[in-house]
Amino acid sequence: MSWRDVFRELRRAALVGAIAVVLLSPAIAHAYAGPGAGFAVLSSFWTLFVAFLYSIYAFFVWPFRQLFRLLRRRKAYGKAEIKRAVILGFDGMDPELTDRFIAEGRLPNLAKLREQGTFRKLRTTFPPISPVAWSTFMTGVNPGKHNIYDFLARDVASYLPYLSSAEIKGPRRTLKIGKYTIPLGGAQIKGMRKGIPFWHWLGDAGIFCSVIRVPVTFPPEKFPGVLLSGMCVPDLKGSQGTFCLCTTRPSGDKFREGGVRIPVERSGSVYRSYVPGPNDPLAGGSGEELRVKFEIVPDKSGKQARITVGSQSFTLKVGEYSEWIPVKFKAGVGFSAHGICRFFLKELSPEVEIYVTPVNIDPGRPDLPISHPLTYSIYLAKLLGPYATLGLAEDTWALNEHVLDDDAFLAQCYANHDDRERMLFDALDKTQQGLCACVFDTTDRVQHMFWRYLEDDHPAARDVPRDQRPEVIQELYSRMDRLIGRVMSQIDEKTLLMVVSDHGFKSFARCVNLNAWLHQNGYLALKPGKTESGDWFEDVDWSRTRAYTMGLNGVYVNVKGREREGIVDPAEVDALKYELRTKLNGLVDPASGRVGVTGVFDCDAVYAGPYVDNAPDLIIGYGDGFRASWDSVMGKVTSQIFEDNLKAWSGDHCIDPRLVPGILFCNRKIAEEKPAIVDVAPTILKLFGLPLPGHLDGKPWSVGPAVAQTS
Amino acid sequence: MASLGVNFPALIVIFISLVIGLLMVIVFGYTSDQKAIHIAKDQLKAHLLALRLFQDQIGVVLRSYARIVVATGTYLRLAFKPLLFVIVPITLLIVQVDRYLGLTPVQAGHAFLIKARLADDSILNDAALQLPEGLSATAPAVHVPAENEIAWRVVAARDGKFNVSIEAPNQKVSKSLVVGPGLPRLSEIRLRGRLWERLFVSAEPALPAGGTIESVEVQYPARDIAFAGLAWNWIWLFFVLSLIAGFIFKSILGIEI
Repeated sequence: MSWRDVFRELRRAALVGAIAVVLLSPAIAHAYAGPGAGFAVLSSFWTLFVAFLYSIYAFFVWPFRQLFRLLRRRKAYGKAEIKRAVILGFDGMDPELTDRFIAEGRLPNLAKLREQGTFRKLRTTFPPISPVAWSTFMTGVNPGKHNIYDFLARDVASYLPYLSSAEIKGPRRTLKIGKYTIPLGGAQIKGMRKGIPFWHWLGDAGIFCSVIRVPVTFPPEKFPGVLLSGMCVPDLKGSQGTFCLCTTRPSGDKFREGGVRIPVERSGSVYRSYVPGPNDPLAGGSGEELRVKFEIVPDKSGKQARITVGSQSFTLKVGEYSEWIPVKFKAGVGFSAHGICRFFLKELSPEVEIYVTPVNIDPGRPDLPISHPLTYSIYLAKLLGPYATLGLAEDTWALNEHVLDDDAFLAQCYANHDDRERMLFDALDKTQQGLCACVFDTTDRVQHMFWRYLEDDHPAARDVPRDQRPEVIQELYSRMDRLIGRVMSQIDEKTLLMVVSDHGFKSFARCVNLNAWLHQNGYLALKPGKTESGDWFEDVDWSRTRAYTMGLNGVYVNVKGREREGIVDPAEVDALKYELRTKLNGLVDPASGRVGVTGVFDCDAVYAGPYVDNAPDLIIGYGDGFRASWDSVMGKVTSQIFEDNLKAWSGDHCIDPRLVPGILFCNRKIAEEKPAIVDVAPTILKLFGLPLPGHLDGKPWSVGPAVAQTS
Repeated sequence: MASLGVNFPALIVIFISLVIGLLMVIVFGYTSDQKAIHIAKDQLKAHLLALRLFQDQIGVVLRSYARIVVATGTYLRLAFKPLLFVIVPITLLIVQVDRYLGLTPVQAGHAFLIKARLADDSILNDAALQLPEGLSATAPAVHVPAENEIAWRVVAARDGKFNVSIEAPNQKVSKSLVVGPGLPRLSEIRLRGRLWERLFVSAEPALPAGGTIESVEVQYPARDIAFAGLAWNWIWLFFVLSLIAGFIFKSILGIEI
């Protein structure tokens, strides 16, 4: 202990002593010293009193609860082979890159896991998209039983998309008073994913589970454990992430997707703008947007500015993010929405530009349920501070649109990642027995956006000299490896550690517009005089269209009696699907001579279950280097079938699932040579000694005994 | 106003509570580490929530309780730092207000006690009370040798401000006395030496040092303030109202307490 520490301790002791004198001296305590001290004393006393009462209660009821749990847990821990399972989900971690980086000596902890336990490629789902694969991971069933086939599903009545995982509607009842519509009750949220996550079975058996940010867990379902929802949680506007760029630079351009441009008005030395929020619930759907105004006052150096949002002020340097700032959108007396966002000062001269992240649901005051129990997100916010709650929290659109540069995007990603790590370690601390599952999205987002630097001639990085390309993905994998090392240091040999990814990654250098192919080959028709369509099939002539595509991998037949303007007789559907499969399989990119489509899969062949009718009729497996074009995903027909992908979003996995398996690392030996993600749920249930539900599609692996850890 | 259950002293307490509540919240905002207080409070709430969320895990419950105790200490330490800035002025202010609102003057026709404490019990027999016109003793003096104290039972015939004198060997001192209604500044006791005690309880000059009389006290009745259907000591009413005022102003001003 240094002298400085000693003095600090003495000073602290003196302060505590002074406080004690103040509290214990009747003469002074009699002279009550204002509401500050009053609040401090009362609230501290109250806190301790409540905690004490609750502890007494907990101690008294603990034996009964334990007895009750023991009765339930006999069937679980009685036959359990493990005390605890820790599952780390690294979204999109690729086995080939992992292998390569291990060989290069970059991933010592994963190398150790491979040596002591298991490393396998993990077969993924059809199609290999995160919401599909993670739904299969948690339920142990194929998509035909969990009903998630893509981020988007199509409405057969309108040919328009909707979010496949959750439906959010206004309150069931409203009261109309003049021009105001008073909502009576909260929003209606309906989960679209079917099937039962395996932690429900564990929880019912008395095994405690902490589940953090596993995709497609919004809305959170009730179960005996704690869960923080992940991918598919909306922002406060109800979208999957809408950033805003507040700028003095005049521009009529709109961002294609994911963001809005907001003008900044100058008034002397003060700049004023606003953060757009949700629509006014009192306006009854008239679309009036709520806003939170803010001011920017640059200092004389022109390198930093004072920003004031409501009652909060903070200083930002150019190129710096703020902390999470709470914003409150007021609709009227008693109606407000609480969000958090971060500000990034892009530029102060010659123009003023500030980027604002999508407004996340405030985890400390959630207006929509984002955790189970509701208090879990509040608990984490109080313990760790505000954190990103948006499903796709890393703003890939902003980088795609050049609103953020590489460094700013990475800073955002890793800030979220650090929060997630803190959540994981708290969950590990709180779950000494049971299941602790946590999914990290950083691996997916960073690979999507920086794959261009891994290749010699990716179209999106041709203007960056090879020797100037940063090793972003290499650093990402190293970071994840260090995380695994820290987790390994905190677990004992009775804990099963499993590291899984839902899919791998490949280059996305060339775009394929299948709607263009369908159009040029006579399966999709445009209205007379049109050579291209707008988004979402604007100008498509449905009366002459037999097949269409939207979303990332699905092709739909325009079936009579199913689609609103369907024309293909149900009896002819199989023949049409066969014809399309034959023609599309092996589709060659004339510019490169490479195969753009390496597999076309019939939904009836790859899915089985009660929800197969909602599946696309065909699943397209794009080849390495290809993916559905940005236009094709949005239901647009263009004249070009193949084109270069010039966006920063340069790597992808929405291709032939056989080309992008995920990873499986385990600290125990696993006998299976070709494990699949669908097997994870039954394997965990079996390891905890629970019977397997009959409807599961996955098969439990043979997992060996614990391996002694070596440092 | 009286018909509404509010009297003049109550209005004064309400006014003081509002002003002090506002001032102290502002001072608290400027002199405290707002961010640290916010974090400390959040930590407390988190550990409280942990008790509920992880209630089946007794290890977590125990650790959470320990963390609650630590976090409470941290919060108190942070919250009491501003106290060091306000304790002296607030204490002096409260002492001064207490002169007006803590006691009620003696009422004409009602008996009350005047007490004198002497240096030695051997001189109790030599002490005498001299009363001005309008005051009269209603009983012989009572000696309490164990306390070196002598007490006189007195009654006032009329309202007014008086000076009573106590005569002891080699010394004669006076003490103010107020009879009647209103909110006069009252001094319950006159003391010799004991600066700190005098500061808090006396509003008169110190008795001369070296004399045989240590203190002279008039026993005024405590003042009850009618508010909201209850009889309050002013300091308790101030405590409650200033907390309410502080709660309102901290919300308006966005200050973390």
